[in-house]
Amino acid sequence: MTTAPWQTAPEVTAPRRSSPLVVLVHTITFRQARQVVPAAIPVVAAVGIDGPGVVVGLVVAVTALSLLFAALTWWRTTYADTPGAVVVTRGLLARSVRTVPNDRIRGVEVEAPALHRLFGLVRVRVDAAAGAVTGGDEEVVVDGLTRAEGDRLRTSVLTHRRAAVVTDPSAPSLPEEEPAEEELARFDPRWLLYAPLVASYLAVPLAAVGALSRLLQELPAGLRPHLTGPDLTDTRVLVVGVVLALLLLALGAVLGAAVVNWGFRLVRRGGSLVAVRGLVTRRHTELEVDRVRGGTLSEGLGMRLVRAARVGALVTGLGAAHRRGQVLPLGPRAEAVRLLGLLVDDPGPLVAHPPAARRRRLARAIGSGLAVTAAGGLLTAGTGWWGLLAAGVVLTVLGVPLGLGRYAALGHVAGPRSFAVRSGLLVREQTVLQQRAVVGWQVRQSVFQRRAGLATVVACVGAGTGGYAAIDVAAADVGPFTEAASGSWATARGAGD
Amino acid sequence: MSAPPAPPVRVPAWSLSRSAIWLWVTQGVIGTLVYGVLVAVVVLGVPESAGGPLPVLRWLLPVLLAVYAVLAIAVRPWIRYRVHRWEVTEETVHALTGWLTRTWTLVPVARIQTVDVTRGVLQQLYGLASVAVLTASSQGTVRVPHLEVAVAHRVADDLARRAEQVRDEAT
Repeated sequence: MTTAPWQTAPEVTAPRRSSPLVVLVHTITFRQARQVVPAAIPVVAAVGIDGPGVVVGLVVAVTALSLLFAALTWWRTTYADTPGAVVVTRGLLARSVRTVPNDRIRGVEVEAPALHRLFGLVRVRVDAAAGAVTGGDEEVVVDGLTRAEGDRLRTSVLTHRRAAVVTDPSAPSLPEEEPAEEELARFDPRWLLYAPLVASYLAVPLAAVGALSRLLQELPAGLRPHLTGPDLTDTRVLVVGVVLALLLLALGAVLGAAVVNWGFRLVRRGGSLVAVRGLVTRRHTELEVDRVRGGTLSEGLGMRLVRAARVGALVTGLGAAHRRGQVLPLGPRAEAVRLLGLLVDDPGPLVAHPPAARRRRLARAIGSGLAVTAAGGLLTAGTGWWGLLAAGVVLTVLGVPLGLGRYAALGHVAGPRSFAVRSGLLVREQTVLQQRAVVGWQVRQSVFQRRAGLATVVACVGAGTGGYAAIDVAAADVGPFTEAASGSWATARGAGD
Repeated sequence: MSAPPAPPVRVPAWSLSRSAIWLWVTQGVIGTLVYGVLVAVVVLGVPESAGGPLPVLRWLLPVLLAVYAVLAIAVRPWIRYRVHRWEVTEETVHALTGWLTRTWTLVPVARIQTVDVTRGVLQQLYGLASVAVLTASSQGTVRVPHLEVAVAHRVADDLARRAEQVRDEAT
């Protein structure tokens, strides 16, 4: 391939280093020195800590070591964005050179964590085609670029990639010019109110409380505040305390969601979907529209109460897809459905699974309860202790709505150009895929499923988790479904029948 | 076993090599020997005077071992041989594996990324090889175990060549 005129600048291909300021960032966060900690602990334990002198010495030594490591790492790491590939060379003693050819690059993410922002730096992640088979992290990270250099690298890599894809250098289509943007979605701050009903955001304040209480325990007794505990026997105090705790929890969840999702915007720029979000760390994710194979609409138990949902795109060869593929982190269901419709055609309303599937979900949900009940019955007969029996009965009774709920979530449908499968009680996930997404089918049938005339059909896809299952489809529907969803090659009953 | 209901997917046409049965029998024997050693250690190691549930183990473990031996040596290889099937057609690679839970895998030739042929130690003893047909999906892998070496290589070459010709995006 001849070099296009805009790529001729020689310094583009020369290896570069990131900004030296990154040394400071890494010194502060002990990024490299952290690896030494496991080795340092026994040494410290052997020497023993007594007196403030040793502690100060230790702090100075660790900081100096951290500075040294950070500086060495910065000095030994270079990157180059050539017209054909992105090359990152690193390693203190053992050098590693990672070359990512441009046609394998799936996207570029520019992120700016809080500390990086302080120094005006960004971190650039270049996503390579992960290939679900190899797994592992197939991404290249260049840490600590100045904002301008980060933007230059992103544009340059994406330009090269487009050139590599088009492979027509005789028609330079002025790639420096940013294509027109079309806004697809914008985060409404009111959507943050959904956060207290989303398990993953609720976990944020709980984790903070846990960390705080551990910190308190580690403090020397003299520094710990002496609080007289409230009188827990008073019901009013208890009620107020519980209400306060719940309010704090909700507030924490809203704050957590705000930090991650603030200012979320999804725009279409040329052939890419660009998602920007984050309050402290601004994340900038770019997905190639050509590689989108479908999307997942997920609704947690709490989100279903208020008709909220989130949407993730399924993109081939995208690592950490759960985080990066997000097209709508949190929002009303109608908005989620609209965005999903932009990613992939709506295949139509879902088909419910046969009654045998309901029986099977119920049997599985109450099975463990029945086992506990039986054990409890034996125990009651033997010793007269009925606690286990009662627990077993309660579990069995609770299993009924559980099983029915699981059954209600099941569904599948094949439309003219796409198909959908849905399952899950705690988190109900509806995955809609394009026909061309399917790289294979897997049909599983256990002994019980065979007796009930059911089977589980997994659409194998080179994106997301690699497989999306329609659980307990009627055995007779498997063939028609696979054929309708992916084309004639999947005809289950071929000429041999 | 009563006559099973119609399978959800067409059963592929071809069986594995008959040597596969003997390989599975050998695996069953090896497994039984390993478990036998463990059981012997427990049975001989538990003192006579031990209380609680330990004395029960002295007869329960050998019984379990015997059941396992019968299943793994005399039953499972034959059931597996009857279940395992595979077929390569114009458009697809198709395999059926498992012995209690059955798994059909169907992959179009156009979406094949790589074809692997592997030979384990036991397989070399019996002149067998396994073929794995890999796609872009971690779950979309067709594994055909225990084919005769010559057959495995022929299939792999054929599939690799055809995949090259008809490959679309493969993802």
